[in-house]
Parts: sequence; structure tokens; C-alpha cells
Amino acid sequence: MTDIDAELTGDLRAFRDMCREIAPELRDRALAVDADPLAMAEHLDSETLRLLRTACTPKRFRVEDVPAAADSYTASCLARAIGNLELGRGDAALLTANTGPSLAGLAVDALGDDAQQELFYRAIEDGRTWTFFAMTEPDRGSDATAITTRLDADPTGGYRLSGTKRYISNAVRGSIGVVFARTGGTALSIRGALVHRPRPGVAVEMLDMIGLRGACISELTLDDVEVPAEHLLGGHLPQSKRGIWGAGRAFNIMRVQIAAQALGVAFAVCDYVREHRPAAPGLDLLSARLDAARQLLYDVAIEVDNAPDDRRWPSVAKLHATDLAVRVTRAAAEALGPGSLLEHPLLEKWSRDVYALEFMDGTSNILRLSIAPNLTPSGLSS
Amino acid sequence: MHSTIQDCERTAMADGLAAGLTMACDAVGGVTAPGRVAALPLTRIDAGTPVLPHWLAQAEGVGFVRTPDCPDAPVATLTAFGVLLGAVRLGVTRRLAERAVEHLSGRTAGGEPTIRKQLVLGVLADVLTATEALRRCLQVAAGVPAAVTDVHDRLTELDWESAKLLGANGFITDSPTRAAYVSRLVANCWVPR
Repeated sequence: MTDIDAELTGDLRAFRDMCREIAPELRDRALAVDADPLAMAEHLDSETLRLLRTACTPKRFRVEDVPAAADSYTASCLARAIGNLELGRGDAALLTANTGPSLAGLAVDALGDDAQQELFYRAIEDGRTWTFFAMTEPDRGSDATAITTRLDADPTGGYRLSGTKRYISNAVRGSIGVVFARTGGTALSIRGALVHRPRPGVAVEMLDMIGLRGACISELTLDDVEVPAEHLLGGHLPQSKRGIWGAGRAFNIMRVQIAAQALGVAFAVCDYVREHRPAAPGLDLLSARLDAARQLLYDVAIEVDNAPDDRRWPSVAKLHATDLAVRVTRAAAEALGPGSLLEHPLLEKWSRDVYALEFMDGTSNILRLSIAPNLTPSGLSS
Repeated sequence: MHSTIQDCERTAMADGLAAGLTMACDAVGGVTAPGRVAALPLTRIDAGTPVLPHWLAQAEGVGFVRTPDCPDAPVATLTAFGVLLGAVRLGVTRRLAERAVEHLSGRTAGGEPTIRKQLVLGVLADVLTATEALRRCLQVAAGVPAAVTDVHDRLTELDWESAKLLGANGFITDSPTRAAYVSRLVANCWVPR
């Protein structure tokens, strides 16, 4: 059998080993955050979360050093995949509960000019600041091109932002984020804007969700919010790359990360069953499927590094990983016998969390449409 | 038995998981769960009995209690209860699927009603077909424990397929997905493995 990890470079193997070593700390905090996701103060001092938010900040904006092994986290999608899988093996919901750049940071990296990146990353350098990425709207789901939130030009040269965004991670406690809206009727008129909170006209409400509760998923209402012209992202880019292009690039990376987190949970569940019932039937098959899924994830991450605008492969990774993770949690509940979901609270929580990973940043059906939009016979081969 | 199965499904469909579970418990009476935890309607748990905390179950009117230290229930009794519980879950499954249809009927994607999309229609057709097939399974499964277990496993899969049609909407705690998820927890307590 091929040793998948043996093909990683020494740096990436060291990074993987480091993440594997620090991940268990997340698990110790998992049930507390699930019970009270807003009570994060003590958890933000976690060495693991601190390292992660620093490592996922671009090097030039880091205010503290990270171990050499974590230095290249932002350099490749493959490193992100490895990190998210291993840390997700501790607890994926803790990763979504963390402060730091997150998906908004990926959008700012793709669409922000130097000053905007400086503004964004300086705003969160205290390590206590959450960010939010607001694309999804109440009646439009993941259809980014159908958003109706408006960015209207005002006489001062700036913009006024109005609309409602829903299912936005950490909006209820985020202080800065990227909100997508349209300045006109075409897809090219969809732009991202940096928005601070609190701010007049911005209201948020946390939604009580069944799983992945650490993400504090929220609804964001924007009522004639003032947006200075210099907060509109993408102005320095060609017209075709000022909005949706950057969001798509950010989604590609985030879908790989979510796939990695889903696999991390699935590996954790498999480890858990092996610990509590080593002779459970089917464990070897589950392990083989997970190893294969990890290989697929790594291959997809490399594909994203080579072709960051191709939506197909990140969709393949996320569709497969979230489906497999759901199946693994079901198999675990069966393997551990009657009452297992009540006797093993972590297993029960992970069963809810993997459900939520399915819809984040693209539901399965949206991903299917990305995978097979215009297939030809030759397009079926890899 | 046949009419009790129908009544359990109808009650859960009309009045929710706890009402259906109450009817199933009353019909079988005094059955002991095969594991160390039993799932019961909150109204059937004696005052003062410690209830394992679970906020989603509590919102559904269901509680989890430690099973008494007594011999396991006969397989036939557990199977009979599993059939009624399957019918209860079927009612919950139908509520969830109906909510999905209602939700998708009010949305458009690419200028077309989402409910008309082939991907969506395919899932709904499969859910409807499986619902009919599982109802018949319950009618013939009373003597086949493995068939009852299979029905519960397929109901869990079916609920997940419907929940996905709701996207994040189906993951808010006051959506019908909550009842479907709690029904999975209930089955996890009562279905022998």
C-alpha cells in the first residue's frame, strides 16, 4: 500500500506532525464550546488556536513568530489541507470558533489592495477579533450571482450598503468583515466591501444551530450603511476580477479546508471507535476509505495550488469528504451499540458537526453543479 | 398491530415526535431499552428521575434516562417496539420532507423555481419512494429484527437527504430537522445492535 504521507516534503511532514501533536487540546474544549459558543474568552488562550490564527495570517502581517514547521501555512492550499485535517481531528468546530482572518481573509488576499490588506490585518492583530464573510442571502442560498444586497453610490463618492445576509459565521461577534453586494445588474457588478462592526445601520442576530455551534452562525442586516470608497475591494484589479472572481478563489480554498475538517472529524470518530471497541467490524474498511479520501484531498489541494480558479476539484473534495464523514459517524454509532450517542457526547456532537459542514460554503447540490456543469465524454477522465 | 402502526405514523406526522413516541410506549408498555439509556417522552418520565441533558431532545419533549438494572427485554418485545418507533419516525420523516417541498417551492435559482430542478426532483422522488417502501417493511417486519434495524438505518439516511434540501435553513434548531435528528437519537437507544 502507498504511504500517502511519505510523498509529502519534509516541511509539510513536520507541519503535519506538529498539528497532530497539538490537536488533542481542541478536543478537551469541544463540548464546552458546543454548550456555550459565545463563551470563548478562556479558549482563545489555547496555544493551538493562537498558533492557528497566527499561521493563517500572511507572513508580513504576523505580529508574532510561528514555529518553522507552521511558517508556510499560507503558502499553499496543500499546507492548509494538511493543517485543517489534523486539527479537525481534534475538533473542527473549535477551528470555526477561532478569531483570525478565516474566509474573509482569503477574500481580502484575493481582492484587497495593499492599504485594504493592511487595514484588515491590523484590525485583527490583537488575536481577539473575529471576522465575517457575508455572501449568502435568506432566499438565495449559495447562488452568489443572485444576491440582491445593494451598494449604491452616494454623493460623497462613497457607497451605501443595504440588504440582509444569512448564515454568516461569527458575524454576531465579528468586528470586521467582507460583505458582497451589487453596484448594478450584472455579475461583474458584484463587489466586496470591508465593513466594520459596530456601525450605524448594521444589526446582527445569532441563529441557534444544531451543529458546528462554535461558528456562531448569524444573520446580518444592513440598513443604509456608509461604506467609504476606499473600503470597496478590487478597484486596483481588472474589471473582470473585482468581485465574484475573488470570492470564487476564496471559496475554492475554503472548500478544501472544509473537506479537510470533515475528514479530520471522520478520522477522529474512527480513532474513537477503535479506542472503545477495537474489534468493531468494518473498522479496516472505514480506515481504508478515509486514507483514500485523504489522498484525494491532497491531490485536490495540489490542483488548487496549480489552478486556483478551477471550481471543479475543490467541489469534488468537499462533496466526497462531507458525505464520507456523515457515513463514518453513523457507522460509529452502530459499532458502539445501543445508547452510544448518549453515552459518548463527543461522538454525538461530531455527528451534528459533520451535518453542518455539508452546507457551509456550498451545499452538495451546488457542488454537483460545479463538478458537472458542461461535461463532455472526455471531461469524465481526470 | 397494523392499525397501531398507522396510528403511530399519523400521530407523529400530525403532532410531532413526542406524541408519536408516547403512543408507541403506551402500546407496548414497560419495555426496557437494550443499552444503558432509554429515550422516553418527557411526560412519561417520573418526577425526580435524573434526565441526561440534551437541549434538542428537551425541545422535542423527549428525555434520556438511565435504564434500570434489570434483564434485557425479550427480542420479540424490542422488535415490536422497534416497529412502532419506526412508524413514529416515518411520520417525522414525512414532516421533514413536506417542509423541504414548502421551502423549495418558495425559492428560485437561475430564474427557475428550485422545486423544478432535476437534482431536487430526483431526491424528492427517492424520498417519496423510500417512504412508501419503508411503510410496507414495517408491516411485515414484526418477526424479523434485522428488518426493523434496517428500516431505522434507512430512515436516518432518508432524513439526511431531505435535510440537505433545506441547506442551512434545515439546521436551525426550530426546523423539522431537529425532530428528525432527535428521532435518530431515540432509535439509537432502542434499536439493538
